[in-house]
Amino acid sequence: MIITRASLRISFVGGGTDLPKFYHQYPGRVISTTIDKYVYIALNKNVFNKDFILKYSLTEIVRSPNEIKNTRFRAAIQEYYKNSDKPLEISSIADLPSKTGLGSSSSFSCALIKAIYALQGENASKEKIAKEASRLEIEILKEPIGKQDQYAAAYGGLNIIQFNPDESVNVEPVLMDFKQLNNFNSHLSLFYTGMTRNASDVLAKQQQKLPNQLETYKKMSDSVYDFKKYLLKSDYKKIAEMLHESWLRKKSLSENISNSQIDKIYQFALKNGAWGGKILGAGNGGCLLFISEPNKKNELKKNLENFTKSLGLYEFEEIPFRFTQSGTDILFNNS
Amino acid sequence: MDKYIENFIKKTEVAIKKISNQEIAKAIHIIEETYERDGRIYIFGNGGSLALATHWVSDFNKTVFSHNLEKNIKRFQAIRIPTTEEELTAWANDVGYDMVFAGPLKNYLKETDCVIAISSSGNSENIIKAVDLCKKNNIPVIGLTGFDGGRLYKIADAKLHIPTDKGEYGVVESAHGLLLHLLTNYFKDYFDAK
Repeated sequence: MIITRASLRISFVGGGTDLPKFYHQYPGRVISTTIDKYVYIALNKNVFNKDFILKYSLTEIVRSPNEIKNTRFRAAIQEYYKNSDKPLEISSIADLPSKTGLGSSSSFSCALIKAIYALQGENASKEKIAKEASRLEIEILKEPIGKQDQYAAAYGGLNIIQFNPDESVNVEPVLMDFKQLNNFNSHLSLFYTGMTRNASDVLAKQQQKLPNQLETYKKMSDSVYDFKKYLLKSDYKKIAEMLHESWLRKKSLSENISNSQIDKIYQFALKNGAWGGKILGAGNGGCLLFISEPNKKNELKKNLENFTKSLGLYEFEEIPFRFTQSGTDILFNNS
Repeated sequence: MDKYIENFIKKTEVAIKKISNQEIAKAIHIIEETYERDGRIYIFGNGGSLALATHWVSDFNKTVFSHNLEKNIKRFQAIRIPTTEEELTAWANDVGYDMVFAGPLKNYLKETDCVIAISSSGNSENIIKAVDLCKKNNIPVIGLTGFDGGRLYKIADAKLHIPTDKGEYGVVESAHGLLLHLLTNYFKDYFDAK
C-alpha cells in the first residue's frame, strides 16, 4: 500500500500568465502558496482481483486501463504504470470538493503520479512530478490550462513561479519566517461560494482573446515582484490594493471570469471590512479570498453568510486554512 | 594574550557574518516540510561534529517538542545516526569506516525524512556516502560545512557553509554550534506559536 498527498494552493497574482500563448512571448509569473488542504491517493496492488478498481466520486471496476473512463486516472496509469497486466486499486480522497479554484485537479495528478512512481521504487523529485503532471494534463490530455497548479502542488510553500519561453520553469521561494507567515495568514479569509465551474471552459475562452491583451498580461506577470516586496514589508493594505487591481485586470480579460453573483459578493465584502480580494482559480465560481484586519474577520464572515443566503447561495462557507511548506509527498509506503 | 583572544573571536565573527540567510531559510523550510509530512530528521558527523549532532538532538527533542505534547497529537523526532556506539563500532569493524553512517541510515530512512550532515571539510568519505544515499532517494539534505565546502557543499540542498581557511576547525565548529542553536530556537518559537 502507498499513500501520497498533494497540497491545494491559493494563487495571489499572475494567474493566466502561465498559459503557453503568453509565456512563449514573455516570461509568465505567478505568486502562490500551498495550504493545509490536500488531495490524497491510496494505491494498492490487487493480489486476487483481476480488475483495476478506481474510487473517486464514482467507482470504476474495469479489466484493462484502456477501459477507464476517468481521463486522468486512465492517462496516468497508461503513461507511468509499467505492469498493466497487474491490476491496481486506487482511491482518491480530498479535503475539499473539486472545481473550487484551489488547483485540486493538478494536485490530484501530482499525488497520483507520485504514487505510481513510488510503487515502482522511485521517490520522484519535485521537479519531475511538476513536469510530468504538466505533460499529462497539457500534452496528453490536451487541457487548455497552464502550468502554475502542477508546480505549486509539486513544490509546496510560498513561491514565485516563472514560466520561461523555452518551457523551463523557475521556482523561487519567498523566504518568510513563521511570524511573518502567520501574520499574513491571519489577514486572509477564504470562502467557498457554493458555485463550481470548469476551469478549462473559462481558460479556453481566455486563451482565444489573449493575443489582443498582451500588455495586460505583461503587467500581471511583472506585478509579482511588487507583491513580494509588500509581503516582505507586511504591508497588507498595499497587498489588498494589488489583489483588487489584479482582479479588475483579470475581469477585463474575459467576460466569463466573473458573474453578477460574484460581483455582488465582492462589492458587499468591500463595504464590510475587506480591503481587497480576488476570485481563486480560473474564475466564474469557486472560492473568494479577502484581506482584512484580523479582528474584523468574524464580522465579515457573518455578514457575508447572511448576504449570500439572500442570494440563494446556501453552500457559501468559510474555509479556515493555514499555509504549508509541503507539496507532494509520500506519507506511507510498505510496497 | 589579548591579541590572541581577539584574533580568534575576530575570525569567528567574520566567518559567522558570511553565512547565507537564504540558505538558513531553506534549511528551516526543509525541516518544516518534514514535520508536515510526519517525517524524522537524521543527523550525523565525525568527531566534534558528532558531538554537535548529539547536542542538537538532545536540545531539539527536549526543548523544542516536549512542551507541545499536550496540545499536539503529532510527534516529531530528531535522531543521531548511528544511535549507539555499538552500532558505530560494529559497522566500522565489520564493514568499514566509510559505512558507519550510510549503513545504519539505510535501515532508518523513509521518503518522509530529511537529513542534516555535518563535515567541516565537506569531504569525509563516510559523510559523502550517506549523503549520496539520500540524494539517490531524493531525501532533502541540509549540509553544514566549513573551509571551501568540499563535496558536501556542492550536493546539499540547503548549504549552511562557513567559508574559512583550511583547517580552521575551531572557528567552523563554533559557527556550526551557533547555526544549530538558531534552528533549535526557531522551532521552539515555531511550535509555541502553533
